[in-house]
Amino acid sequence: MSGQAALDGVEARLKGLMLRGLDGDGASQGELLSTLSRHLRAYFARRLGHDAPDVEDLVQEALLAVHLKRDTYDRRQPFTPWAYGVARYKLLDHFRRSGARRETPLEDAGALFAAEEVSEREAQLDLERLMDGLPARQRALVRDVKLTGLSVEEASRRAGLSPGAAKVSVHRGVQAMARKVRDEDR
Amino acid sequence: MKTDDLIAGLAARTPVIPASLAWRRLSVAVLAAALAALVILKLGWGMRPDIHEAMRTSAFWMKALYTLALGAAGLLLVERVGRPGARTGAGLFVLAAALLTIAGLAARELMALPIADWRADWTGESSWHCPMRITILAAPAFAAALLVLRRMAPPRPVLAGAAAGLLAGGVGATVYGLGCTETAAAFTAGWYTLGVAVWAAVGALVGPRVLRW
Repeated sequence: MSGQAALDGVEARLKGLMLRGLDGDGASQGELLSTLSRHLRAYFARRLGHDAPDVEDLVQEALLAVHLKRDTYDRRQPFTPWAYGVARYKLLDHFRRSGARRETPLEDAGALFAAEEVSEREAQLDLERLMDGLPARQRALVRDVKLTGLSVEEASRRAGLSPGAAKVSVHRGVQAMARKVRDEDR
Repeated sequence: MKTDDLIAGLAARTPVIPASLAWRRLSVAVLAAALAALVILKLGWGMRPDIHEAMRTSAFWMKALYTLALGAAGLLLVERVGRPGARTGAGLFVLAAALLTIAGLAARELMALPIADWRADWTGESSWHCPMRITILAAPAFAAALLVLRRMAPPRPVLAGAAAGLLAGGVGATVYGLGCTETAAAFTAGWYTLGVAVWAAVGALVGPRVLRW
């Protein structure tokens, strides 16, 4: 899926939620805010650093602004540029208050909404790489149970193991992958 | 506070938002401010005594259309600059068209006159009164436009403040046109524009302070 097509999909979904929220639907508004919170977290983290303590504060401030300034969204216009405008303003406001003079180029809405897509793809690649280190049968088990979402029973039948042995194998496989991550981070 | 709790709390308070809220607030603000300016004009300097005859001249309508166009540009801009991610093209286009038109009319008028008469044409009889009085008449509209913008979410406060000033100047200048007997396009292009520019400049200066959200 190209970046533009992904952005179009996000736009259509979020705009639908926003419009229902404007009509007073709290469930849609909640879903909108929690989807936005993930995009906002990735966007702010990329600009402040992933461990910056301010990221979550900024996420909350931006969510509050999205909710309280809903009336400034024009229903005839696309939603994602509006949300990006709110996020960027809050980021600039944060820089100004903290006294830092930083350039924040004006980008298009993709800067906010492509963030999650990129990190998901990166995470996918990381997982594939980590699983490559496992023996073939264990790799298949981990993939079936943890990624595809099969039950341990189904996965064990496919691997020709007893459910108990499969469970242990998956557990050890995940532990091995975790060890590998820790070693790489060191 | 956890972000998820915040989201749940906000979602539980999701009132219905009527469409075109900004236009409603803006039209109330502009009408009230125009009325206030009319009262100030009446009490301060009075309408021009020949208003009925003047309304049959093209000079009167040239001035009125110019100042109304500035106000319309300001109105279009204010409605946009209060919204994150919005485009401001339409308002800027109307502003540019109004400025170019009055500049063209003034140039044509001056070209038809001997150079010796240019000064008299463009300073008229009330040059400094004009921008000062427009500034005073525009003050209520400036305050009203800022109040409307404060309830919105202007991402660019300098531009937003300037737009509020342009709208206010347009209102003030249009009302002042009912009290001013000058007829020259060059006068309008110079002094009226200056009167409007005062609040636009003030708006650009104070915007970042008063329009934070």
